[in-house]
Amino acid sequence: MSNKAVLIGEFRKFFKFLIQEMKPRGKWLTPFNIISIPIILLGLVILFFRFTKGLGSVTNLSQQFPWGFWIGFDVVTGVAFAGGAYIITFVVYVMRVEKYHSIVRVTVLNGLLAYIFYAGALVLDLGRPWHIINPIIGNSFGYNSVLFLVSWHFLLYMIAEFVEFSPVIAEWAHWEKVRKFVSALTLGAVIFGITLSMLHQSGLGALFLMAKPKIHPLWYSEFIPILFFVSSIFAGLSMIIFEGIISHKVFKDLIGEKSHYSYEEIILGLGKGAAIAMFVYYFFKALIFIHEKQWVLINDFWGYWYLVEVIGFVLIPCFMFAYAVRNRSIGIIKIASVLALIGIILNRLNISVIAFNWDVANKYYPSWQEIVVTLMVVFSEIWAFRWIATRMPVFSKEN
Amino acid sequence: MNRRNFIRTTATISIAALPLGKLNAQENKEKKEFVGVLVDTTRCLGCRLCEVACSEEHGNYVPDVKNDHALEKIRDTSEKQWTVVNRFETKNGEVFVKRQCMHCWQPACTAACLTNAMFKTKEGPITWDGDKCMGCRYCMVSCPFDIPKFEYNKWNPKIQKCNMCYERLQEGKKPACVQACPKDALLFGIKRELMEVARHRVYSYPDKYVHKIYGEHEVGGTGWLYLSAVPFEQIGFRTDLGTTPYPEYTKEFLFSVPLVLFGVPALLFGLNLLTDRKNELNKNERWENE
Amino acid sequence: MEFYYYVNIFETKGLEYLLLICFLVLFILMVRYISTSDKKKS
Ligand code: SF4
Ligand code: SF4
Repeated sequence: MSNKAVLIGEFRKFFKFLIQEMKPRGKWLTPFNIISIPIILLGLVILFFRFTKGLGSVTNLSQQFPWGFWIGFDVVTGVAFAGGAYIITFVVYVMRVEKYHSIVRVTVLNGLLAYIFYAGALVLDLGRPWHIINPIIGNSFGYNSVLFLVSWHFLLYMIAEFVEFSPVIAEWAHWEKVRKFVSALTLGAVIFGITLSMLHQSGLGALFLMAKPKIHPLWYSEFIPILFFVSSIFAGLSMIIFEGIISHKVFKDLIGEKSHYSYEEIILGLGKGAAIAMFVYYFFKALIFIHEKQWVLINDFWGYWYLVEVIGFVLIPCFMFAYAVRNRSIGIIKIASVLALIGIILNRLNISVIAFNWDVANKYYPSWQEIVVTLMVVFSEIWAFRWIATRMPVFSKEN
Repeated sequence: MNRRNFIRTTATISIAALPLGKLNAQENKEKKEFVGVLVDTTRCLGCRLCEVACSEEHGNYVPDVKNDHALEKIRDTSEKQWTVVNRFETKNGEVFVKRQCMHCWQPACTAACLTNAMFKTKEGPITWDGDKCMGCRYCMVSCPFDIPKFEYNKWNPKIQKCNMCYERLQEGKKPACVQACPKDALLFGIKRELMEVARHRVYSYPDKYVHKIYGEHEVGGTGWLYLSAVPFEQIGFRTDLGTTPYPEYTKEFLFSVPLVLFGVPALLFGLNLLTDRKNELNKNERWENE
Repeated sequence: MEFYYYVNIFETKGLEYLLLICFLVLFILMVRYISTSDKKKS
């Protein structure tokens, strides 16, 4: 009886706390809010039509292009960008490199939100989303499908990342016991999460293995899964650098000087990792190029486009990273990370949309509605990130 | 169920399950073989009665065959019509080709489907189940013949494709299109027997037919077979699809998944222990999980 | 018609090994290039 009363009391306290935390903080009319609020509202209107009138009413998808911008950008690219979380947790928890400990929390949060929002965008694209539980509750397991594997891994990975992040939530809600408990789970969740990441990052590439006759031979290769995995490493690292630079400006007052490794050192270290990963990736590409004797394909539009992607957005940013690390130039690292991110976008979109059915007459291009919804997803992710970052101890690493 | 597993197991060449699979195969052989249809394009008149019969059978859009001049363009099957007949101008004159799902032996679409909504029945036809499908359209991405079609303009969209009149087959009838064909251009039967008929025709009239039966080996063999008087690429067939069954392309990846799931966590844990030891030796502050 | 034809998978192997050697050499150079920066500073 009294036990129950205590529980209810606790719950009430927490509820009050939650309500209090829900309230917005700081100024309302920031430029970001002014841009993002209308877009999010517009996106909701578009989604209303999408769910009542069908996908065709707002997207340019067609029978020849069943997957468009929502899959190609939101899901395939978004998940590659979220790869930073598994790399950083690997470095910090498995290899125990203390240098990066101060960015673990924010990276995991970014990864978690990216999965929730970008992989969640998959639901928007499903024609019959109410059946999404079918492959999960097990009344119809399509074990032999790559997509089955990828969707399960998304789900499990989200849980793993949530466990990794939950100590922060417990700290914020002042649940000391819970914090201790979930902290103990961290290493397990990290190891599980890294394994899952390896599999679904490459799995996203493996999705396209059966589209062999449809993808331009310069982009199709039986090694797509490996290429996707390797490129997710530098995609993730570049994204951490990029986000780090932005949040260092925006959340300046939240970031304490607790870590004794300077921010600059961390960025340079990440840049070093990205340079090496890109270098390896470039040679993978070259190896496949030679093995498949693709030089006969290089002398037309698609060939040049391929060179733009591989040289302009892989090799050049790779050298820029290397140069910047050697000369300790944060400025060049910033540019290089942006270039590398564009390169990833290009690569993923090339495989899923641009060089997909490259020879058909009416090519697919995204409608404005598709772009607005994509922006909506990105902005709402930033909103969620901001809400959490300003309330929970994300940027700090105290014990 | 066993039968289905067997197909899948052989498709993914599971060595461990092979002896068992062989037993099943013998046991099932007497029971049933996959059915298919042989299309002899030299006999087709282009009357399009099969289109009409198909749409009537399945409640789809029934074309007005007499007046719609549909043969002037090359059409594709659509979410409204599961089969279409196209006219091709060749050096042998007009050739009419019916197009529909090929009912592959080892279909890419069922390997792609994560809910088993696309399903290869034990009789051979590939069917679609609306209670399972979640509309991901991965089957459309995977099908080498671009057959599954999606209703983009409905809130409750379906995947539309030929199911070889599965309901009729169960009643012991032929597919509606085969029934409707006035010229016997379509022949329904077990693939093994159809192949014999097809070979017989090709060998008896070597000047009339090209020496190839489309569907014998394409993408691992298909249920629908085609005979033609002109090379197949001239009448709208892709001849660059290869003979590998499409599920094979993802086989290696799917096989490596359990390996990674077993191996990598152990490896990572080992690495973790290793680094811990190093830290101790270095007398660094002990790592603590926060 | 032509279902069986010979695919020479070794045709480009020479080039591939050449690429691999280039890669290893360049990789060492690259790693050295990157990691000298620390020394320069300290
Ligand atoms: S033709 Fe396409 S839809 Fe038909 S069985 Fe083959 S893969 Fe499936
Ligand atoms: S759209 Fe439906 S039938 Fe096609 S793969 Fe997805 S769940 Fe299966």
